[in-house]
Amino acid sequence: MTVWVAIGALAIINFVIKAAGPALLGDRPLPPRVSLVVHSLAPALLAGLLIVQLLGEGWRAFDWKLLPGLAAIGVLWMLGRSQIVCLIGGVLVTVAIRALA
Amino acid sequence: MSRSDFPPEFGWRPGLRVGVGLGLAVFPVAVSFGALATTLGWPMLPTILCSVVVVSAGGQFALLTTLTAGSGLPLALGAATLINLRFLPMGVSVAGSLVGPAWKRALAAQTILDGSWAAAYQGGGRYDRRKMFGASAVQWVAWVLGTVVGVVAAPQPELVESLGLDLVFPGFFLVLLLDSFRTTPRAPWIAGTAILLTGGLVFVAPIGVAVLLSSLAAFLVLIGRGRRGPDPSDLVEPA
Repeated sequence: MTVWVAIGALAIINFVIKAAGPALLGDRPLPPRVSLVVHSLAPALLAGLLIVQLLGEGWRAFDWKLLPGLAAIGVLWMLGRSQIVCLIGGVLVTVAIRALA
Repeated sequence: MSRSDFPPEFGWRPGLRVGVGLGLAVFPVAVSFGALATTLGWPMLPTILCSVVVVSAGGQFALLTTLTAGSGLPLALGAATLINLRFLPMGVSVAGSLVGPAWKRALAAQTILDGSWAAAYQGGGRYDRRKMFGASAVQWVAWVLGTVVGVVAAPQPELVESLGLDLVFPGFFLVLLLDSFRTTPRAPWIAGTAILLTGGLVFVAPIGVAVLLSSLAAFLVLIGRGRRGPDPSDLVEPA
């Protein structure tokens, strides 16, 4: 039951977040300081998600064999490759590392 | 705004083409979401419905992991909402490019997805709504189909690990994070702080709390701005 409520609530919240600007603000922009913080939430939360994915609660899910794959993703990104190429490259490196380890 | 106002590379058809590329990128992520949700005990129907109505990898994944980690509903919703808050400034930025009454603009804004929003940017603060619609339509189909495949195939955790698919989510977040370095001022500093903060928190606190509090790093962007507020150059236009 909790899952259904959570999904329904998130769908409504998501709708409101996306609709708020175009429906209410129209062409009027957010105050610059507010806009700057909201815009900066993405890197903060993406970094947070990356870390909890990598470490898990109590750091119990940490697997060092994922690190070379993530490093490969970083290198491919710096070379200007697309998202899918970065991900495939990272996965291939991870598979290779696990096969060798 | 008439269709003739757009350069040839804009409109529905180029949007669909862009959407194919974006769809190929999100498909394996969606498969992983479906498989992981099944592994963690979510039933088939709500998992697929989640992808149909939410359409946000970060938000869905945050909801899934925080709920199944035992965090309560408010924390899980809080984490997912904070992640999806990035759609607020995106919505504000496209507001001037959408047409019609408020309800119609609100519905049109539901097609805002990270990749589509970026692809629709024309420069000068203008967005091609048709290109965004086309790109998002293809991504939505890929996202839902990928979730169905993940749920139905439901690869076991051992298989997911041996195929390296457990790297897809952290890898996906890493790519989005690196992309944000191009459009968000001080993003490397914000991300570095968030990594240290979350790394410490997740050792002692539930995942939902750690993700929620990682958002505090976003306030770093205001340091040094004082009362004069942000420099106009901080509000970087999307590439």
